[in-house]
Amino acid sequence: MTTFWIDRGHDGPARTGHLRIGDSEIRTPSLISPLETEHGITYYGSLGHDETAAKPSFIALSRRWEQPRSLLHDENLILLPSMISGGILSASVGSILLSKQLEFLKDNSDTLNPTRAIVRIDSFTDPDSIASYLDSFGSLGVRIAAFAFDGVLAPSDYRNVILRSQLPRNWAALALGRIEPPLVAPLHYFGFDLFDIGRAFEAAAQRKRLMFLDTERITPDVAPRYCSCSACSAHPSLLGLAFDSLQDTLIQHNIGVYRMALSESVQLQQENRLRWKIESTTHSSPAMASFMRKIDRAAYSYLEEYTPNNCRHTMVLIGPESYHAPTIRRFRENIVERFSPPTHKQLVLLLPCSARKPYSSSKSHRRFIRTIESTIGSVRHRVAETILTSPLGVIPRELERVFPAAHYDIPVTGDWDSEEIEIAATALEHHMNKFGDDVVIVAHVNGGYLDIVRSAEDRIRQSIIYTSPEQPVTRRESLAALADVLLDMTEILAIDDEKRTELDDHLRAIADFQFGLGAGQLLIPDEARLGGKLYHTVTCRVNKEQVCAFVASIGSISLTLAGGQLLAPLNRYWVRFAGRELKGSSIFAVGIEDADPGVRPGDEVIVLSQDDVVVGVGRSEMSGQEMCEFEKGHAVSLRHKSEVNK
Amino acid sequence: MSTIPNSFKDIIMQESKAARGRSLSKIRKRDLKRPAAKWVTVNRIGGKVGNALSLVMLTQGCAHARGNEGGCTMCSYLLDGSPKPASADELLAQFDKAMATLDNMPSPLAIKIYTSGSFLDPEEIPLEARSGILSKIAKDARIEEVVIESRPEYVNGTSLKQIREILGTRKIEIGIGLESGNDTVRSICINKGFTRSDFTAAVEAAKEEKIGTRAYVLVKPPFLTERDALLDCVQTIVDAAQIGATTISINPVNVQKHTLVERLWSKGHYRPPWLWTVVDALWRARLEVDSRIDIICDPVASGRQRGPHNCGRCDSTVTKAIRDFSLSQDVQVFADLHCECKSLWNHVLIHEDVSLLVHSSEA
Ligand code: SF4
Ligand SMILES: [Zn+2]
Ligand SMILES: [Zn+2]
Repeated sequence: MTTFWIDRGHDGPARTGHLRIGDSEIRTPSLISPLETEHGITYYGSLGHDETAAKPSFIALSRRWEQPRSLLHDENLILLPSMISGGILSASVGSILLSKQLEFLKDNSDTLNPTRAIVRIDSFTDPDSIASYLDSFGSLGVRIAAFAFDGVLAPSDYRNVILRSQLPRNWAALALGRIEPPLVAPLHYFGFDLFDIGRAFEAAAQRKRLMFLDTERITPDVAPRYCSCSACSAHPSLLGLAFDSLQDTLIQHNIGVYRMALSESVQLQQENRLRWKIESTTHSSPAMASFMRKIDRAAYSYLEEYTPNNCRHTMVLIGPESYHAPTIRRFRENIVERFSPPTHKQLVLLLPCSARKPYSSSKSHRRFIRTIESTIGSVRHRVAETILTSPLGVIPRELERVFPAAHYDIPVTGDWDSEEIEIAATALEHHMNKFGDDVVIVAHVNGGYLDIVRSAEDRIRQSIIYTSPEQPVTRRESLAALADVLLDMTEILAIDDEKRTELDDHLRAIADFQFGLGAGQLLIPDEARLGGKLYHTVTCRVNKEQVCAFVASIGSISLTLAGGQLLAPLNRYWVRFAGRELKGSSIFAVGIEDADPGVRPGDEVIVLSQDDVVVGVGRSEMSGQEMCEFEKGHAVSLRHKSEVNK
Repeated sequence: MSTIPNSFKDIIMQESKAARGRSLSKIRKRDLKRPAAKWVTVNRIGGKVGNALSLVMLTQGCAHARGNEGGCTMCSYLLDGSPKPASADELLAQFDKAMATLDNMPSPLAIKIYTSGSFLDPEEIPLEARSGILSKIAKDARIEEVVIESRPEYVNGTSLKQIREILGTRKIEIGIGLESGNDTVRSICINKGFTRSDFTAAVEAAKEEKIGTRAYVLVKPPFLTERDALLDCVQTIVDAAQIGATTISINPVNVQKHTLVERLWSKGHYRPPWLWTVVDALWRARLEVDSRIDIICDPVASGRQRGPHNCGRCDSTVTKAIRDFSLSQDVQVFADLHCECKSLWNHVLIHEDVSLLVHSSEA
């Protein structure tokens, strides 16, 4: 019996997990190689060629699978026989090869336990045709699929990633073929769990030393690079080595590079910094850059499902590869779908972003705020302060503390490229569609921000007043111009002595943003009492009972049980477990009956009993659909639960 | 191996046909009174040394390739043929032209008649031409050995009896492209269009007339890993010997124009066999097969990108060893071959099987 389950913590589809084969266990992600090596690298070979079949190992059955299967240990994983390059023949061959493997498994079920089988998916297979085959393999107990990468990041490698995204969520994915070290982290990020490092050996036979970004060929005409690894250090002059010793040294070095690449990827994943690594790697070659861009575009919903809505680090967004990163695109889409400006907003004030987050803590925004407070302070809540930035687009002041608005870092030079300008202009257009025609826009921007507003101008119905487009917005004269404009607006803003509502506006906007439109009204009803400071914590009580708290450091709302009950009618962010009473501090995937498919790892969720009673609230550790599909693993960490026997 | 569905076979046929592209309509018209090629080599003939005439007749080419089946995945002989069939008279004229080369040459002589298809296919070589050619050979007492080629479906009691009757006691061998002893490989990877039992029947029938058979064995059909190709080749040699072939000639694939193999190759999905694979196959097979049966190999395009090749540095040495072996049958000629690229070949043998990725990039 082979089982696969994952640990807490996703960074995109990247995960760490466990592959249990009989009595042995392989931690994933893991490297596999044609040499039995130490350091947790698992051996692979093909049946009939190599006599040493250690356990567990990955054994390929070739076309000549008739060879003595007694060589197979109970704990070997079996790569099913398929046809090399068959898929190139025609679109239908991919599925024929799948049906052949299925047939093979059924025909050999007496000697070959299907739970040990690894199905091979040809890169030419039509992604839309595989679901039913995968179902059949899954019901036989198959939990691993293998894909062959050619290493040139050509269309076939791209298709492999797309095909991988179609796997059932509780399967592990094996990347075979020519996987250069720079591809390890991207493939881990794209959801591969096992990596063939055969390339380490091929390269060594070609006198090649693999590096993190490129490859060095050891030839007498070029002085070799310095390398501090133990294999290379043992031979100060690589050029003096006989071929056999050189090859051994290069194998050791190359394997070392793979181990470093993988361990780095695992650590970055656990710190939620893998995407940053991937984006940096983009620049290793044009092929890598187009490979990633194409996948970002085509596999967005796959990448997004596993991308947490929070992160312990500042997100570094440096170039165009960030514009469509899942976190960023999701943020822009959520702003469109989940932000609804309070009806009392009569003026939209456009402001530039700042390097310091949240914006209101920056020097520039403190000046803007001082200007606002000193002119129209008593009705500030009637102003929709809107920050322009890229690649996030527009950020309403109310949402400046949510993830990732308060957690990103971009090179602030004031010049945006045309794609960034278009992203922000489109966001601004969508934003303004949510306001009435009579709302006035005051644009306190210049430079690149001005370009954004100008390029959206034609698509905006409301009238726009520019305060001081010619000079930096924080200059005294500019601020004075802003003050003048705002004072002119006092009539529109219909000043009276009404109560200011910023805190309510903020919390409702955040609740809507986090849980979906309507959540704000449910969690923060008119009779709610709010207390605390936005830059620290704001708690919300209803009938003297705390229902939720906004915690600025994590940029999100956490619920109490009472809050969960208030939110339940929204029918979102719930998981239902198979039982009535929660025990312990976590729920495991095996106990989950159903879950909102919108749940992402790290989300605040409501736990329902099998009778649909809210019995707990907590933090999801995987996506909603993963909870349903996995048989094992941490699904939810509970924060509060109903007291038993109460 | 469980049987491959017919749809697979259909796809291979279609693709083999498609790979011909428009090349068929572009076949040059040629003088049908001249043979496509002819050359003379020095050979061992019945224990003595003599001259052997090889003659490639210009015909309309192989029926298997001309017809609906699309021909074999690696073969473009059809394109060497003539767009219109050659008449009996024209074929006899071709034969005479070639025979003139042998004028004044002493006994013993051998003659090897190739067509771009089957000598025994009456559509390709009309019966009149066949008997005419055989009779001309019969009249030349210097000729002690005759080799012809045919697909097995034309090798039957009637045709064999006629050959034996006309040629008398001469040594006769019929070359048949078995390619692989494995029916799946032969039909799916090669699209050969006949079965192992067709081959066996032909060999048996030839034995009846004391006619020998030369089995052609393909090294590395497409859709096999390097190691599978090696194992398949060794197994096929052993099988052919067991079935009763009298000589076994192994042919490493060379990438010919307008073939399915060429299409795969140009996209990096096929690499012709390593010369190390050829060496290893000859070596292993020689140790397993009855020493009275010669195992020979004359690699075409050896050392070229389109032919069997190693790293470029060792190709000519290794090719020479393969040719030496074909004459001496002594595996010791392989014992001293060394090159760095052997490591890479060893890697390919292991890694292609595991990854099912064609290792087409060069060292
Ligand atoms: S290999 Fe022989 S049988 Fe096949 S197409 Fe060529 S000539 Fe015809
Ligand atoms: Zn090193
Ligand atoms: Zn070499």
